[in-house]
Amino acid sequence: MNSILTCFALTRFALTRSAFSALPCVQNRFPKPDFESGYAYPGLVYGVPDEILWTCIDLAALVLFMSVTAWATLRKRLRTPVLAVAVSSVAYFGFFRKGCVCSIGAIQNVSLALVDSSYAIPLSVLAVFILPLVFALLFGRVFCAGTCPFGALQELINIRNHKVPRPLASFLSLVPWIYLLLALVFAMTRSSFVICRFDPFIGIFRMGGEVPMIVAGAVLLIASIFTGRPFCRFLCPYGALLGLFSRVSVWNVKIVKQSCINCDLCRNACYVDAIRPPCDNKVKESRPAGVRRILLYLVVLPFMAFAGALAGRALSDSFAGTDKKVRLLEMVLAADAEKNSPESQSFELEAFHGRGGDVGELSTQVVAVRNKFKRYSTGAGAMAGIIVGISLTGLSVKRARKHYEINDAHCVSCGRCFAYCPQNLAAKSD
Amino acid sequence: MKRNGNGHRKEKAVPPPLARRDFLRRCGTIAAGGAALTIAGLLLRKAESGKRSETFWQIDPAKCIYCGRCETECVLSVSAVKCMHANRVCGYCDLCGGYYRSNVKELNTAAENLMCPAGAILRKFVEEPYFEYTIDESLCTGCAKCAKGCNSFGNGSLYMQIKQDLCTNCNECSIANVCPSDAIARVPTTAAYDLKNG
Repeated sequence: MNSILTCFALTRFALTRSAFSALPCVQNRFPKPDFESGYAYPGLVYGVPDEILWTCIDLAALVLFMSVTAWATLRKRLRTPVLAVAVSSVAYFGFFRKGCVCSIGAIQNVSLALVDSSYAIPLSVLAVFILPLVFALLFGRVFCAGTCPFGALQELINIRNHKVPRPLASFLSLVPWIYLLLALVFAMTRSSFVICRFDPFIGIFRMGGEVPMIVAGAVLLIASIFTGRPFCRFLCPYGALLGLFSRVSVWNVKIVKQSCINCDLCRNACYVDAIRPPCDNKVKESRPAGVRRILLYLVVLPFMAFAGALAGRALSDSFAGTDKKVRLLEMVLAADAEKNSPESQSFELEAFHGRGGDVGELSTQVVAVRNKFKRYSTGAGAMAGIIVGISLTGLSVKRARKHYEINDAHCVSCGRCFAYCPQNLAAKSD
Repeated sequence: MKRNGNGHRKEKAVPPPLARRDFLRRCGTIAAGGAALTIAGLLLRKAESGKRSETFWQIDPAKCIYCGRCETECVLSVSAVKCMHANRVCGYCDLCGGYYRSNVKELNTAAENLMCPAGAILRKFVEEPYFEYTIDESLCTGCAKCAKGCNSFGNGSLYMQIKQDLCTNCNECSIANVCPSDAIARVPTTAAYDLKNG
C-alpha cells in the first residue's frame, strides 16, 4: 500500500504537463491486482443501435411519404394527405430521427465520394440522395412538399402569403446555387460539410445547439409564417437541384383537368410564386434581332464564366484558411515564432507535438489542400458565372401564355391551389 | 436551348412552339435521368469494389488527449461522449489519479477532493488494498478530467468513447471538427466501440 502511494506521488510530481501527450495509451504503471476474495471483473456491454434496421425504416418512410404525396397531388388533387405527410415527417424525420442524414446534406457525401476515392459512401446515404431526385424527375418536387422535415415545418406554420417582389425573388433564387457551389468546394476538399454546419432548423429538432444557428432558424421560421418557404426558395441547395429535375419531370402537377378560366385564384393562393399568369407577349422581335440577341448571350456567357473563375481563384486562399490542417500549420508556425511562451500552448499544438510533430509533412499536406481549394473553387466560380448568366438570360425571355401555368421548377407540390380552383371544385362536386 | 424560342418562331418548317417545348422537355428528362443514373452507377460500382462503408463516429483512445472539448462541442445538450472504464486495465489503486484531484490535502470523498465534477465515478472497496471504480453513465458529462488523470498517473483504464445509443450520428460530427488530435473518425458497424482490454 505504501509503495503504491509513494509511486503515485513520485509520478505525480515527476510529470510535466507537456509530457502527458507523449505517453502511450495503455500504461502498466501499476500491476494487475491479484484478488484473493474471489472478485470477478464486471462484464460491460455497450449498446449499439441496429443501424441496418433503422436505415431500412428510414428509406421505407422516405419512399412511402413521397409516394403518398405524388398520389395525392397528381391523381387525387388533394392537400390533406400532403399535410398528413408533413406532420408525420416533422415528427419522424425531424424530432425522432433528429434529421441526420438528410438529402440536403447528402449532396456533400456524394460529391466527396465522386472526387475522393478514399471516401466510402454508405449505400443508405446514396439512396437518400438519389431517391428524391428520381421522384422529382417522375412526379415533381414531391420530396419538398412534406417529406423533407424542413419544408414540412415551414409548410405547417405558414399563415399569411405575402409575395416577395419579383426582382428580389429572382435575385434571391440565385443564392441556393451559390450556396450549393460553396458547399461542393468545401465537401470536395474534404474540409468541412458547410450545409450541415450551417443548418438553421436542425437545432430546433434537436432542441439545442449553437445559438447563432438557432436564432437563424427562428428568424427563418418567423419569416415563413408570413411568406412561403423562405428556406426552400432562397437557401436550400438541394431544392435548386430538385427544381432542375422537376422542370423536366415526366408527370407534373396540374391544377385542373378542365380548361382554365383565368380567375387568378390559384396564383393568389400559391405561396411560393410558382404559378405564372397569362402573358400576352407584346414585344414582337424580328428574327435578325432575335438571332443577334442569342449570339450576344452566347458571347457574354463565357466571359461571365471566366470572371467567375477568376473570382473563385482569388477567394480560394481565404476558403483554404478555414481548413483544419491549414489552421494547424499557422498555429505551429506562430508558436515557433514566439518560442518563449510555452504556457500558451493550445491543445492543437499539444496533440501535434504528441504525435511526433513533423512540420515538413504538415506543410506538404497543407500545400495539397491549398491546391485542391484552388482547383475546385476556380471551377465553382466558373459554374457560378454560368448560372448567373443563364438566369439573366432567362429573365429576358418572354413567352406568350394563354392560361395560368405552373412553373414546375418552383412548384413544391404542396397542393394549396387545388381547393382554390373553381373548375376543380366543380369537377369534384359532379 | 430554350432561349432559341423567339428567334426561330417565324420559320415555317419548325413545328409549333408548344410541341418544340415538349421535345426540349423530353430531351431534358432524358439528360437528367441519365445524370442521376450515372452518379448512382458510379457510386454503386465504387461501393461494390470492396470498401466497407463506415457508419458510426468513434474516438480512437490511442489518439485522444483528453482536452475536454467532447463535453461542450457535441450537438446534444449532454454529450454522447462518456467515460468508459476498462476494469482489466485498472490497477484498482486506493489513490486513484482519475478519482482524486492532484494535490488534495485529505483523501476523503468530499466533493472538493474528487476529480469528477458530476460525481459519476463510484468507488467500492473490494479487498485490501484494492478499490473498484465504476462510471455512472447517466451522470457522466464527458469532460474527460478523470481520463486525463488516469492516463497521466495511472494505467489509463479510464478513457473516452462515443456511446452509440446516445449519438445522433450527425453527417458531420461537430466534435470531430474541433478535435485537436483528430481522434474522432467514422468506424464500421462491426467496430462500433474501440474498447481497451487488458
